[in-house]
Amino acid sequence: MAELMSTERNILFGLYDDEEKLLDAVKAANADHLDIDDVYTPFPVHGLDPLLGLEESRLHIAGFIFGSIGCLFGFGFMTWVFTRDWPIIFGGKPYWSVPAFIPITFELTVLFAAVGMVLVFYIICGLGPGAEPRRLHDRITDDKFCIAFDATDLGSEAVEKLKGYFTKTGAESVHTKVVPV
Amino acid sequence: MENFVFSSRAKTVTGGTAIFGLVLLIISYFVDGGEGHHMRFWTNLLHNSVFFVGISFMACFAYAAFTTAYAGWFVQFKRLWESFGMFLLPGLFLMGIIIVGLFTHSHHLYHWNDTAAVETDAILNHKSAFLNKYWYTGATVIFMGVWYFFISRIRQISIDEDKNGTTAYVHHARIKKYAAPFLIILGFTTAACIWQWIMSLDAHWYSTMFAWYASASLFVAMTALTIMILIYLKSRGYFPGINAEHFHDLGKYLFAISIFWTYVWFSQFMLIWYGNVGEETIYFRTRMDNYPVLFWGNLLLNFIAPFFILMRNDTKRKFGTLFFASAIVFFGHWFDYFNMIKPAARETLTHMSHEGGEHHEEGEHATMDTAGHGDDHAAAGHDGHAGDHATTGHDGHEAAHGEERVSTRVFLPYKAGYTVPGLLEIGIFLGFLGGFLFFVLSSLSKAPLEPKKDPYFEESLHHHT
Repeated sequence: MAELMSTERNILFGLYDDEEKLLDAVKAANADHLDIDDVYTPFPVHGLDPLLGLEESRLHIAGFIFGSIGCLFGFGFMTWVFTRDWPIIFGGKPYWSVPAFIPITFELTVLFAAVGMVLVFYIICGLGPGAEPRRLHDRITDDKFCIAFDATDLGSEAVEKLKGYFTKTGAESVHTKVVPV
Repeated sequence: MENFVFSSRAKTVTGGTAIFGLVLLIISYFVDGGEGHHMRFWTNLLHNSVFFVGISFMACFAYAAFTTAYAGWFVQFKRLWESFGMFLLPGLFLMGIIIVGLFTHSHHLYHWNDTAAVETDAILNHKSAFLNKYWYTGATVIFMGVWYFFISRIRQISIDEDKNGTTAYVHHARIKKYAAPFLIILGFTTAACIWQWIMSLDAHWYSTMFAWYASASLFVAMTALTIMILIYLKSRGYFPGINAEHFHDLGKYLFAISIFWTYVWFSQFMLIWYGNVGEETIYFRTRMDNYPVLFWGNLLLNFIAPFFILMRNDTKRKFGTLFFASAIVFFGHWFDYFNMIKPAARETLTHMSHEGGEHHEEGEHATMDTAGHGDDHAAAGHDGHAGDHATTGHDGHEAAHGEERVSTRVFLPYKAGYTVPGLLEIGIFLGFLGGFLFFVLSSLSKAPLEPKKDPYFEESLHHHT
């Protein structure tokens, strides 16, 4: 095994061809107290989050904040335009016609919440134009389910144990890959 | 535990509440605050009958829709919805009282049932092909009868499945054959019933959104009641397979349909507000001016409260918060129906006491009408007598240029039981709720609680959101 730089990690991962096998394998790993680094799947697998002990995503908090901003912005902007900047009478209604503002306020709330959440998601995940795709194996985005272990500091005995675990739980293939931290 | 056991204590509580409500209903016949015509009794009877009939109807709708859509998660508690549907029969009896009152002219809920008024009133006359007691009777009896036929057939097959179900799922296919046409029938008949039962209380007014709005209200109320009963049954040790996942989905329904209700409510409001036609705005003018607690409280209970309580993930998964939110919206939609029915019935009384006069600009009952006329004038242009100038830009400018804004609207004083639900109303509501629960729980106890032979039962046990 080549020498690793301090900015690199050695990942040992196994590929499964079925989500049920993956779930059973994760359960087996939990029972054996193996420290799973991460699990990669082509689509969301039901019941995986609690097995991995993942916290609930906080993305929706960002959504709420962005939505509130959009709501206030939409309503405030229309209020400013129609009472201060350029008052126009529409259909004999008062300048500050709250019911007429509500659909647009609603739309802007949704728009801000949706776009804001996408931006936050991209920033947190380091995605976006020009970002280097970081994937362990091409077929994880297609039809394979992957369990990955951090093997950087593991001795050969521990690595053999993990390989045995992969064979036992029905992994299709086992690979190693050096990735940046 | 195979069957739900309707304990004698639960029987005493629900049955006792029902009798208590009945006593209050009889009292309300004699207490009508000087309005006459025993109006308080009739509005309470109509209000609660329609509300609980609607809940049982909506349970049938959800059952048929989920079954047709291959949904599996709900089958564990499908017996509960079947039992809800069984209430249609006593519901038909309750609506029958209203129908009898229609023929004997015992009540004045519906302006269109007044022969003299229909002859002189062009609008009522024009609508009389649909708004008459024969249509009302026919629609109520036939439509509710058809609903009851379908749901009782479905329940029969479903119970038979428990005994003679096979792995070929013959029973399930038969249920589906009933559920699919049932959906189509429900979609059309519910609108006709709601027009007749509730919207025609405002006999001169109509809104194309109304049936949607009232149905959405019933759907939320039904979901809320389902959640509360399920939480109660779980606390008694029934339904071991129902967990936070199922409540999460029910909570999502509660949340989503509350938003849908708000959407429809607002669409109806905004179209009428924008159109600014006097005949249409009168509906909201009356309620905003004279019933502000009903009008704004409705939005607070049915939109603001569920929106903020149920927005988070975990509030839908915890029994405490979910029960709390359900209780609020359940009461809230009853309150919504109060808002639809009571002001309309009082308006009808006002009109009736004016029979003979073409315009009611004078007299002791002018208070409710001035608001409407204010709108009429404002829409027609500037008028010296118009009460409210602010609704048009043209008038608004003139008012700003010196003319004093004088409101001729006289606000009605608060009166428990009339402008807001009184203790009698709450008591009668609880009484009807007790009667509904008594009936539902006793029909629930007559069949195995969990449909173990349903092909989707296993899926329901492993439901994940």
